[in-house]
Amino acid sequence: MDNILSFLRNRCTSVEEIDEHTLKSTCRLQDTLMDAVVEITVRLPDLEITDVKGEVYQSCRKECRESADYLRKITGVRIGPGMLKIIKGLIGEISGCKQLVFMVEECCHGVILSFTKESLVDAPRPRDIEEAKEFYAEMVRENVRLYNRCAAFAPGSSLVEGFDLQENS
Amino acid sequence: MHKYSRNKLISVRREDKNTLIVHGVLDDDIYGIEQNVRISIPDLEVLEINGKWNRWTTPECPRAIPVLQEAVGFRIEEEGFSGKVHKIIGRKACRHHANLLLECCYSAKEAALIAKWEDKKAENKGLTFKDFINGETKNTAPALVERPVSAGRDFVQRDEVKKKSFNKNEERGTIIDLHMHSSPASPCSSVPVDQLIYDAKSIGLDGICLTDHNYVWDKDVVDELRQKHEFIILRGNEITTNQGDMLVFGLYKDIQGIIRLEDLRKEVDKAGGFIIVAHPFRGFLVFNVGELGLTPEKAMERPLFKYVDAVEVLNGKVTEKENSFALKVAEGLGLPVTGGSDAHEVSEVGTYATMFPVSVKDENDLINALKTGNYSPIAFKKEREKIKR
Ligand SMILES: [Zn+2]
Repeated sequence: MDNILSFLRNRCTSVEEIDEHTLKSTCRLQDTLMDAVVEITVRLPDLEITDVKGEVYQSCRKECRESADYLRKITGVRIGPGMLKIIKGLIGEISGCKQLVFMVEECCHGVILSFTKESLVDAPRPRDIEEAKEFYAEMVRENVRLYNRCAAFAPGSSLVEGFDLQENS
Repeated sequence: MHKYSRNKLISVRREDKNTLIVHGVLDDDIYGIEQNVRISIPDLEVLEINGKWNRWTTPECPRAIPVLQEAVGFRIEEEGFSGKVHKIIGRKACRHHANLLLECCYSAKEAALIAKWEDKKAENKGLTFKDFINGETKNTAPALVERPVSAGRDFVQRDEVKKKSFNKNEERGTIIDLHMHSSPASPCSSVPVDQLIYDAKSIGLDGICLTDHNYVWDKDVVDELRQKHEFIILRGNEITTNQGDMLVFGLYKDIQGIIRLEDLRKEVDKAGGFIIVAHPFRGFLVFNVGELGLTPEKAMERPLFKYVDAVEVLNGKVTEKENSFALKVAEGLGLPVTGGSDAHEVSEVGTYATMFPVSVKDENDLINALKTGNYSPIAFKKEREKIKR
């Protein structure tokens, strides 16, 4: 075969501050087979989804062209741990279009990551690797849940050296 | 101005008749990731994966790269594929790598479909992609499952439960860990039920409640466990609703999928049961609270609190701040408060529990005791020495 692509996908998720209490998170997808957008409006401080809009501009799949209306079922759900199970449970079965459900999830992740970014921007710049290590080690100590949730916070990593679960319980 | 953006670009080319080469790039404000994945067309199996970081956060993020190899052999169409990627690549490597890998794999799945269409078209010149794909998926259209939508605020008034102070110096009643998960009833738990009971007994708890996720324990099975271990073992159920996880007692109906909290309330009222909202602020304070401006007063306005009987304010899987925030909210609302370990691993059993001033021997006792509102959460493992035996 040659170097011509058989499939290309472009996905962009962005989070915008509408006002002090409102965020809008938008996921746009354009690929060889589909063109769609999902937008959620989120109210602070609860991170409650107050509005969901979806539009499928192009898809060869009937179930995707007809699914956008179901998205509304997730209004009222709050973004946070456990949300994926709730979103999948509310619209995963009825919508039939996995892509739209995934786009909702991407919007929600975007909101969380916008706060992660903010807290990293606000944190003091570490001057060397030791300071950086201490910053993240402290983060795990503060949030036990992060322990063993990724390679950086797994046993054997210098960030969790001497970390004892018991001391947090 | 955008607060945050993430861009993903995936390109797939067909290397030969049976192989796809996928190149994925993820760039967002925080991370920069690239992956090259080889995938077989006939069975959509991950044959090879190479990943690299361009930008990352912690000094230990590079540890994620070798773990990506664990995805070799995964098949995109196997049952639970995305769950596997989240659990293995997301948890052991990095969830952003997992996110990109899913994007690469699902793009490959689409590309494989196109490849199969191209092959078919060689025999049948006029075959359009649309006709091809409708032929491929005709028999797999998802069933429409409509969920009943309840009227909203018409929840049933419940007996008012009053919170009384509980004097810890009184002769102690019963200490029960009201929240724990066993394997295999809860797929997220690693503790077999016998081990869980053994542990609970050995650290001095009086009893436990099995609250596996959307799982109804068989009465006879639990009776047997009770006799075998000579220990108080009660049945609960942690049910996921549109408003989060609820610990439900006294309802022995199998509820699957996501139920609306209002509907769950009706079911529980019919059964004469009890609802405790589990870890109501789990994860909320990971982002700094000041940033979000979530105050206990604001949180008290959440509609969910109208549908629950009590609030879990000591949960072993959340931070101290999240627990104390839950306590403030519960106190503000005058709702009774409980504690439970939410154990998923052996070491976690009994970190927190609930102390009842009365004797609780069976599920009826438990419901009656819960409805009095007279009990308190305790950090059991820490405080067990101080408790008068
Ligand atoms: Zn739980």
